Amino acid sequence: MTVAAGIGYALIALGPSLSLFVAVISKKPFLILTVLSSTLLWLISLIVLSGIWRAFLPLKSTTWWPFALLIISSVGFQEGLRVLFWKVYKRLEDTLDAFADRVGKPRLFLTDKMQIALAGGLGHGVAHAVFFCLSLLTPAFGPATFYVDRCPQMPFFLISAIIALAFVTIHTFSMVIAFNGYAEGNTTDQYFVPVVHLVAGMVVKSASA
Amino acid sequence: MKAMAVRPLLLFFFFAQVRLSFSGELSSMESIPDLQESMYMVVDGYPCVRLLNRSGKIGCSNPGREKVVASIRRFRNANDLTQSTAVLVSLDELQDLLHRYRSIHICFRISNDVSFHKNIVGVLVESGAEIRDKLKGFSPTQKFPQAEFAPYPSINYEWNSMVCYQSIGSGIMLKAYDFPVFLLSESSTSMLQEVADKNEKVMNGYTTSVAEFDLVMQTCLPLGGYSVWSSLPPINMSSSYQSKPIILLVASMDSASFFRDKSLGADSPISGLLSLLAAVDALSRVDGWNDLNKQLVFLVLTGEAWGYLGSRRFLHELDMQSDGVSGLNSSLIEMVLEIGSVGKGSSQGVKTFFTHTTGVSSAVNDALDALKRAQDSLKSENIEVLSSNSSNPGIPPSSLMAFLKKNSLTSGIVLEDFDTAFTNKFYHSHLDDMANINSSAVVAAASLIARSLYILASDNNDRHSSVLGAINVNTSLVEELMGCLLSCKPGLSCEMVKNYIAPANVCPSHYVGVVIGEPSFKPYLGYVDDVSRFVWNFLADRTSTPKENASSRCSKDCTNEDEVCIRAEINGKGVCVISTTRYVPAYSTRLMFESGTWNVLPPNSSDSMGSVDPVWTESNWNTIGLRVYTIQNGAYDHLILIGGITVTILAYFMIALARSFITKALKRD
Repeated sequence: MTVAAGIGYALIALGPSLSLFVAVISKKPFLILTVLSSTLLWLISLIVLSGIWRAFLPLKSTTWWPFALLIISSVGFQEGLRVLFWKVYKRLEDTLDAFADRVGKPRLFLTDKMQIALAGGLGHGVAHAVFFCLSLLTPAFGPATFYVDRCPQMPFFLISAIIALAFVTIHTFSMVIAFNGYAEGNTTDQYFVPVVHLVAGMVVKSASA
Repeated sequence: MKAMAVRPLLLFFFFAQVRLSFSGELSSMESIPDLQESMYMVVDGYPCVRLLNRSGKIGCSNPGREKVVASIRRFRNANDLTQSTAVLVSLDELQDLLHRYRSIHICFRISNDVSFHKNIVGVLVESGAEIRDKLKGFSPTQKFPQAEFAPYPSINYEWNSMVCYQSIGSGIMLKAYDFPVFLLSESSTSMLQEVADKNEKVMNGYTTSVAEFDLVMQTCLPLGGYSVWSSLPPINMSSSYQSKPIILLVASMDSASFFRDKSLGADSPISGLLSLLAAVDALSRVDGWNDLNKQLVFLVLTGEAWGYLGSRRFLHELDMQSDGVSGLNSSLIEMVLEIGSVGKGSSQGVKTFFTHTTGVSSAVNDALDALKRAQDSLKSENIEVLSSNSSNPGIPPSSLMAFLKKNSLTSGIVLEDFDTAFTNKFYHSHLDDMANINSSAVVAAASLIARSLYILASDNNDRHSSVLGAINVNTSLVEELMGCLLSCKPGLSCEMVKNYIAPANVCPSHYVGVVIGEPSFKPYLGYVDDVSRFVWNFLADRTSTPKENASSRCSKDCTNEDEVCIRAEINGKGVCVISTTRYVPAYSTRLMFESGTWNVLPPNSSDSMGSVDPVWTESNWNTIGLRVYTIQNGAYDHLILIGGITVTILAYFMIALARSFITKALKRD
């Protein structure tokens, strides 16, 4: 594989997030801050989870339920953090609106709110992609490639890049849907996001376990 | 509302990922280094390395400074190769391949296609138990090894019958190849056979498994090592009167092979070394050496396979009366008895050995009589000692040749297990291992030598015949030594070796190696190889006389000039014993180490062997390695890069489109 392929895999995983960043996020500094803070929050949640699960890993069990427990607890924790994120955002929104009233500028539009949600989701997605895909890509820059027995048609790195791309998309749009759901009180939307996240996580874990 | 539009998109990506995620698998690996290890398989192999001499080079090397990367295929499909290939060959195919490369016409095969295929850039040689049985023999060296050193003119005589080609020149080992050649271990052979078969089947054109050869060779160091001599009984340095005639028993401890790290040389010459060590052990149990009229000196030489370096240098130092050989005088050497290959002397219960003599003289006749008497005293052992055929042109290739060239009146006998040509079908090849010799033959030779030496030293006096019957060789010692010096289990980590030294390697290799640093008679022990150090300690221990006072502990040298420190490398076990055992450096007489560098001396008329000495040196290298991994086509890599760039740009356009659509829909900004 070579440097060309390594860059290709990195772009497959993170190219669209880069485009989104350049097209939408970079225009408004507040959104950049949102991306960074949500990335940080997601990484902290991973650290806390790994700290809690450290005592039980590695799971050498052949039955499926310890893995299921791992995924359910991780996803549950992250969804809980999403609600927390929402609450913090709500407070921030009130503060910003009050400030806008004071200086006589318009309040936050719907597009602004959605953009903030998008930025939050992007932060989560980028963190996932970097953590689960980019960190594996170092051997991809060397001369060799790697195929797994389960799927001999595609190199392992391509599979991991595509999965990372899918997760970036899921995370980015989940935040938008969730914020919308919380704002409008729409329970379908509110439950849609955690369910999708959970099922995606379970599927990936079950395939690799 | 907007979320509703987004949801189908999300579900699409979700399902796409579901399908793909069933194909991911990370369970067996826990980290990136594990992933890297499973991508690159390191193959253990024995390389053929580059050696250089005065007139040119031999051996194998990568053509430049880069690693050679080529896809692996089997040799039989060599004719339809379209790209650079690393071929997987068996041993007989190797001979064929290398003969084609050097355009040597093979004698018994009429080959239409004598051109070497230019797409072969690397060679991997299979090994396995069935290969030895399939081959009649394999010897990569010449018909008359080191013929230029022979003290007689018939250099066309064929001592080694396993070499078959028309031209007299050298065998495959003594030619230069500009591509890497590796001998695989047995486990790697099966693995690479699978890889080669997979490469044949998978014709999708964009992935292939390749081998990466790292065999980059550079400047050089001279070949050489350290020979060991020991005297029984120990020579009293302080006494100036030293005139007992000397009987010299010689064996050599180095061999050669096409693949440097697999030179065991079990029959040629290690069987001789084992006999010498066992004979010394048997003779050490005899008392009263000081009362006998003659002195025994045991000499174990190294570097003999690469221009008789050990013997030439020893004789040179003897002439120079150097410190390391003090106590010896070349005029006192009455008789030279050399033990050559004796490991194959056993067939149908009878052990047969042949004596090759330097001519007719009283000393030679005495020695032959002693051997006869020893043979008779060992009636129950079924040993037969025969004279070699008179139609032989002279003595076989052996260290005695160097003695004869120095002094043509030397009386010497070489004891071998063959008569007119080698019986060793694997002379100087990696197949000359423990399975090629018989321990009973070695024991028989040792018994013969031990008793003959006693008879010679005691001047054939019947008074001592009762002692003769008590000289017996320890069979279990021979078997233990075979396990230590000729196999990897237990190898040099066996009890006997670890009792004397701290070995650097477990698997023994009898390749002479290079001279590191300045050659000296008291070398830094880290520069002396394991077998030399073991032989030194073994001989010093066996030839030592017991001390009256308690032995003193030592870690390097002993204060008394007559004493040496054995077991010095084992912590706390070093002890001073009275023994005369010394190292003698073994390197070409054409070289001199001066102010940090090696210089080649011009040929000297008094040194006839030096004029024909090729002066072998070994190339320095950084690392030698062999890796196998799967690669993708260059086109595939570029496809991935373009795919990544496309995805990025496409995403940008979609976002820009979505943004303009949203702004239009909201009629804002």
